[in-house]
Amino acid sequence: MNNTLSHTDTSIIICTIAAVALPLFAAVVNFCLPVKSKVAGWVSTLAILLGCVLSAKVFAGVWNSSQIHIKEVWFTIGTTKVYAGILLNNLSVLMLLLVSLIALPVHVYSTAYMKHDERYGRYFTYLSFFCFSMLALVVVDNLVLFYGFWELVGFSSYLLIGFWFTRDKAVQANKKAFIMNRIGDIGLLSAIIILFVMYGTFDIDALFGHSGAVSFSAIREGQWAIALDLLPKSVGSVWLPSGAKGAIPAVWQYVAVAGIFLAVAAKSAQFPLHTWLPDAMEGPTSVSALIHAATMVAAGVFLLGRVYPMFNGTELTILAIIGCFTAFMAATIALTQNDLKRVLAYSTISQLGFMVLGMGVGAYSSSLFHLATHAFFKCLLFLVAGIVIHQMQHVKEDNNLDIDPQDILLMGGLRKKIPLTFMVAVIAGLALIGLPLTSGYLSKDGILIQAFEWSDGKSVWLKIIPVTALITSWLTAFYVARLIFKVFFGDFRLQNIHPKLKLHLTDGGWQYKLPVVLLAVCCLFPLFSFNPFSYETSWLFKGLNISRITKFESIYHLIIPVLVNGISLVVLYLAYAIYVKQNSFAFSQTGFFYRLSYNQWYIDKIYKRVFVKPVLGLGKTLFWFDKNIIDGFVHLLTNMAGCVARFSAWADKYIVDGFLHLLAAIVQSIGNFARKFQGGKVQYYLFSMLVIVLALFLFKILL
Amino acid sequence: MITLTDFLVVSVALFCIGLYMIISKRNAIQILIGIELILNAAILNLVAFGKHDAVNNSGQIFALFAIVLAAATTAVALAIILNVYRKYKTIDPDKINNLKDQ
Repeated sequence: MNNTLSHTDTSIIICTIAAVALPLFAAVVNFCLPVKSKVAGWVSTLAILLGCVLSAKVFAGVWNSSQIHIKEVWFTIGTTKVYAGILLNNLSVLMLLLVSLIALPVHVYSTAYMKHDERYGRYFTYLSFFCFSMLALVVVDNLVLFYGFWELVGFSSYLLIGFWFTRDKAVQANKKAFIMNRIGDIGLLSAIIILFVMYGTFDIDALFGHSGAVSFSAIREGQWAIALDLLPKSVGSVWLPSGAKGAIPAVWQYVAVAGIFLAVAAKSAQFPLHTWLPDAMEGPTSVSALIHAATMVAAGVFLLGRVYPMFNGTELTILAIIGCFTAFMAATIALTQNDLKRVLAYSTISQLGFMVLGMGVGAYSSSLFHLATHAFFKCLLFLVAGIVIHQMQHVKEDNNLDIDPQDILLMGGLRKKIPLTFMVAVIAGLALIGLPLTSGYLSKDGILIQAFEWSDGKSVWLKIIPVTALITSWLTAFYVARLIFKVFFGDFRLQNIHPKLKLHLTDGGWQYKLPVVLLAVCCLFPLFSFNPFSYETSWLFKGLNISRITKFESIYHLIIPVLVNGISLVVLYLAYAIYVKQNSFAFSQTGFFYRLSYNQWYIDKIYKRVFVKPVLGLGKTLFWFDKNIIDGFVHLLTNMAGCVARFSAWADKYIVDGFLHLLAAIVQSIGNFARKFQGGKVQYYLFSMLVIVLALFLFKILL
Repeated sequence: MITLTDFLVVSVALFCIGLYMIISKRNAIQILIGIELILNAAILNLVAFGKHDAVNNSGQIFALFAIVLAAATTAVALAIILNVYRKYKTIDPDKINNLKDQ
């Protein structure tokens, strides 16, 4: 397929490679620059700006036209050839453009936000490296490469969460994120291996494409195999590389899907593995905006989008249940958190839950649409949070206060002091709630409506899913309202505590203003659809739609938006009444539900008790075992060998040597005895001779 | 009447005295005297047995020779003693022990 590349295709491929490689180049350049160099920021920003332009060009060339797929042999093991290549279709070029578009304002913002940091250059090295990994992740055509960049994305996220590594909390957080992601990586790796055993290829297009092998496989009689009756007439047969099994027991299909789900749950912070994301907010706020709100956490959903044909009906339902539960749980937690970034982190988890829910109910395009819109408004919210935290930090430093600059209980009334920030925050907040005229309305309504349509004709229990999603979107309205009212309305509570406070709050320089304004514009509907009330007319939805079954006439299209927005407005007023008018309508802070929410459903504590403590205990036991049993045994052996050695040394010294010494002594004493007769006294010689002669005589006489 | 046995008894007495002197005296001259006594015991035997010899006076003649020889050896011995004294400043044979194996 790569022999017939036209001239435009070739230029698009070159543009893609350049867009991906530019941030890597910037990272390498920054790595060579001095750590504090201010040039680093502009190198990275320039790279991402060029990357953005090139991505836009690629996007324009590929969107809604045929996909481009090139590959080269990467390496050969035996007869198996592993290819490396680029796969550009609607999904990947959308992500390519999205990541560069979000990264650009974040880079500009970071040049100001990180200005006073000791390791300014390092920050941009890591940030560029992240952009490279993420951009490469979305364009590769091959599961092995995908896995590699998946790991690199996790690694750069690890570096950036622990960027301020002198803080103990940051170190704990990046360790936690890394371990959690590792659990997901194991799942992804197992899934890749199973897929390779089954189909003998790593190629994403050959596996999951329109005529990919996975679409024509089914589970029949306990075997997961290619089902020939699923093949369209035009295809006839499926070609599999030699070495592929083609049919394996069904259990492996479940394992592969579970592995992919684990990977998604770890990267996109879904229920069992979500606890790392709130802690990851220890990194710089600009990093949270780019990585932990907009792009990297969406990689899980992107993976779901890539491997979507893998999932069968039941598995999709499970996906929907998990997504729905995550969305609901995270939203309830976000209601009571007092840390500005933590609220946003749980809100991100909740919105990712919506996306997974959307995937589960078959709202494929709405889910990816929500991914795109969410990236803009959540990034914007984080950048706003960054500005607010930055200003609070200034207040703290100017007045030598001992406060937490992220605590929303200390803020309030900031709308008059930083009006621009307030305005963009409101736009982003409305988009997050999903009120009309914003991008969030278009994507979220799509998911909700399709969830209701999906549950039609299914069992009553499955109705709980769309209803919970609906309740979650009202909860979203409440916590967003709480956040904005607490931060921007009422009195400045810190000033109530410390009346003599010196304040000079500003929106910041153009590096702050320009990105937030740009992102705020992107949060409005015209970017995505000319009709602000109908998600079906959005170009993005149309471009990604794969179901082809479009029944836009269901009653839900009327009821859901009215219901959602009507009650959301009521909720907003309620929040206004509670937090701004300070009615006596406040919630009890001791109730069970408050504590459950405030302590994040005790999930961290449960994990600590169920996993962390036993593992540490096991570690300690093993250490004890090593130290006392293994080392003890080794020491025993040493001692025994020592005893044997000492005994043989003793035997050598006293028995062997002693015998020799005895012989020597005997010989010496004989010599000495004989020597005595040679005393040099002539008379003694004579006397001896006389004695001997006499003895001989006596001898002769007596015998 | 003096018998052969009486001569022999005197001769044994002389021999034994000479031998005792040689072994026990601490003076080279006295040892030399001891040697002379033993020689005299031998000469006395020659003379005593010569009476019973078939050939006349052969014992006496042999004794004369022995006396002459004894005088000669005594002279030599005295000369040795003199030289020993010069070298060692003593004539105690116990102190002159350079003949022993070193």
